[in-house]
Parts: sequence; structure tokens; C-alpha cells
Amino acid sequence: MKVGTLTWEFPPRVVGGIARHCEGLAKALVQQNHEVHLFTLDFPGSPNYEEMDGIKVYRASTELGHPNFLTWVLLFNHFLAKRMADVTQSIDFDVIHVHDWLAAFSGISFKHYLKKPMVLTVHSTEVGRAQGLHSPDSFSINGIEWWATYEADRVIVCSQSMKNEICSHFNLPLDKVDVIPNAIDATKYQASVDRGSVRQRYGVGYGEKLILCVGRLVPQKGIEYFIRAIPIIAKRYPEAKFIIVGEGWSRDILEAEARSSGQGRKIQFTGFASDQEVINLMTSADALVVPSVYEPFGIVALEGMATGVPVVASKVDGLAEVIEHDRTGVFVYPRSPESIAWGVDQVLSDPGHAKWLTENAKEELRKAYSWEAVAMKTVEVYRKVVE
Amino acid sequence: MGENHSFRSYPDEQPNQLRLLIMLHNIGATESSKSLTIQQISEWTRMDAPELQIHLQKLIERGYVQSFRSEETDKYHLTVDGIRKVLSLYS
Repeated sequence: MKVGTLTWEFPPRVVGGIARHCEGLAKALVQQNHEVHLFTLDFPGSPNYEEMDGIKVYRASTELGHPNFLTWVLLFNHFLAKRMADVTQSIDFDVIHVHDWLAAFSGISFKHYLKKPMVLTVHSTEVGRAQGLHSPDSFSINGIEWWATYEADRVIVCSQSMKNEICSHFNLPLDKVDVIPNAIDATKYQASVDRGSVRQRYGVGYGEKLILCVGRLVPQKGIEYFIRAIPIIAKRYPEAKFIIVGEGWSRDILEAEARSSGQGRKIQFTGFASDQEVINLMTSADALVVPSVYEPFGIVALEGMATGVPVVASKVDGLAEVIEHDRTGVFVYPRSPESIAWGVDQVLSDPGHAKWLTENAKEELRKAYSWEAVAMKTVEVYRKVVE
Repeated sequence: MGENHSFRSYPDEQPNQLRLLIMLHNIGATESSKSLTIQQISEWTRMDAPELQIHLQKLIERGYVQSFRSEETDKYHLTVDGIRKVLSLYS
């Protein structure tokens, strides 16, 4: 099958989970002998065309700008469509696959222009990310998301909770939406990591506990609640160190909160870290906290499970489907520093139990979350719309 | 950040430095070949040059903006971390 994929982020333009999802899915589709032409935006240092693991990657440069984000999105969609137009002269796509509302305008145009079916993956919704619609831009984005789900021949989401959310919010028929969970490339997590050296690099001494939190520094990730849990955890584990990995617009606010917690010396913000560095840190940590308050899936929990770190996560949305409490991880209440501290204590105070959790988690990963399986299920969706 | 806050403050509600960073991104100052002078940024953002200089300096110190001298003029563009910080608002 020839697939035309549209996404605003693709490595090295990595913002959140969409880039990793598109990379994992496209690689697996290529391995299953499908042809993937992926259209995305440019990024400093990246060529405007390259083949990555067999994926044909076309990057569009946005030649015009505008201070307003929505106007900028419309402009980049024009340049994305222009890039795609060049390619469709010679490639006859079977299906167009759009990821999220940001690439919807160009995807919908090409659906009509080429008279080809369009599949839309909704990774999250505006109403979920913003916990309501609080501004004119938010209302517009919500409208574009609805429009994209309406135009799509089929819609894919990564969890049952997302299916419930979009069917209810956009009035979509249940049978138009397929649930295909996210996955990770387990081979990336098999390399051996020198834990001692990683911990030393981050100033974590022998016998000290390392508690990690990885995610974009935005409110939906709930990192403020993790920071508020730190003084409670530090009472029982005064030697513990806390590392927060990620970049995001609320970093200044979170750093200020960390400074005023009285535990600022023990908390490090690393900023954006490479995939390998995230693996190094997860493998070296004693607990991974995923304190999200909105999480359609929570790929970071899978990454933690693959590295063998005990995962302590909020019981919300997709996370509630990924982790089984007290078998593959520990659930805590969302927005509750006390509950997060309790969850961390559960894994730090009983290393034997923590090890049992991580062994179960690895087994669960092997059984349920591979890109190969995601690609096969996605092709089934493509077949439904092509036929 | 209280319990009932909105998850996302929009550009008109954000601190000036973040607003400036977002605007620089959206008008396309994302690499050295697309960098802009203070005067050009001032025209786009309607911020005064002295105020802009203060904000840009802070953003440079945080690693979100880079500047270089070209033809006797300082020019500014976002770093990769700056781009990621802006995009985190919308992903």
C-alpha cells in the first residue's frame, strides 16, 4: 500500500509523542513492505528530503509567518500541501493518513483533490489539553478537530478513553473510530547502561534514591503536583534526588515552584534530553513518576516499563489502560501530592515488590505493545477505507 | 497555578518573554538564515526596541534565542530549545 502521511512533527522535530508515534508506525509499515511518504515541517539542520529507515521524508519550509499561531498553522499547511502536490505528480497514494488537527487542512484538501480516503489519528483533543475551551483560539482549534473527524473516512485513537472522549465530544458514531494503542521499540531499551556512571553524572551518590519525572513541561503533565510531593517524599528519604526531564512553556513556573518547595537543591531540571539520555536516566532511576492530569495514552509509562524502572502513575485516561495497579505499576490519585508520595514510597520501601512489578511490566510490554502489531492494525483500518 | 487554572494561557495572557518567543517562532525566525534585526522584530511585535533588548537578552541567557552580528547589526533567531518550548504549547 502507498501511504501519504501528514504530521507537523517528526524526528528530529520532536515535541511530544506524535513524532515518536509517526516514526514507530512508519518504520513498521515499511518493514511490512508498505511505501510511506511522510510530509512534515522543516527543522534546523534537517534536509528537505531524506530516506530514514526506508521512510521517504519530505520537509516543507514555511516561507511566510504571522504572529498569531492559528494563522501560522494555516500558512504552514499551505506549504505542506505544496510539497505534497509536487510528489503526487508521480505517486498514486492509496490512503492519506493525517495526525492531529495541525495537519488537517492540507490532508482534507488532498483527500478531495486526489479523491482518496483519509484516515485521521487523534492523539489528543483541545478540550482535553486545555481542560475546557477558554479562548477564541481554543474554540477554533476545537472546531478544526471536529471538522477533521467529520472529513475522515475513519478515525484512530490510542485508547478506549480517547474513543469515549471524541465520540461524546464530537458526536462521532462509535463504529467510525478504531482503538490502536501506542507502542515502543523494545530493542532501543536492551543496550546495557552503566547506572553508576549515569547517576554520578547527575550528582546522585551511592545509596541515594533517584526519582525521575519525564514529560513536556506543560500543565497537563501534572509536574507541579510531583514537585509538591517532593517535600513529603524527602521527609522519609532525605537522601533522595529528583530529576525532571523535558522542555515546555511552563518551565519557569515549575522551576520557581521547585525553588520555593524548600527542596530546590535536590531538584534538577535537565531540559530536553535525547532518546538515549532518557533511556540512561530511566534505567538508572529508582522510580519513574508520571503525574499527568490528562493523558490520552502515556507513552512515557511504556518507556519506563521497558527500562525496568518501577512506574508510579496517575490513574487517568489512557494511563489507566496501560498500567495494572500493583501488578505492572502503582496508581496514584491525579492532582494529589500526598498520593504521589505514597506511590513512590510503595516502590522505594519494598525493593523486592518493586522488582516483581517491573518484571510483570516487561512481560506485559512484550505481549501487548509492539510497533509491528500497531502497523498491522493500522493496515486493517487502511483496508477498510480503500475497499 | 491553582487547581482550577486553564491548562494553557494564550499569548495575550502570557509573560512578555514567552509572548515574544512565540511571535519570533510564528513569524519564522527559527534559524540563522531567517534571523531578524531588533527593528524588524519591533515592527512585527509592536514592542519598543529597549524593551525588546531586555527580553531578548533574558531569552539568550535561558538558551532559547541566539544572536549574531551581521553587517554591523545584531540579528536574532530561536534555538532548537526555543522552538521546542514554543511548540509545547500546542502539542
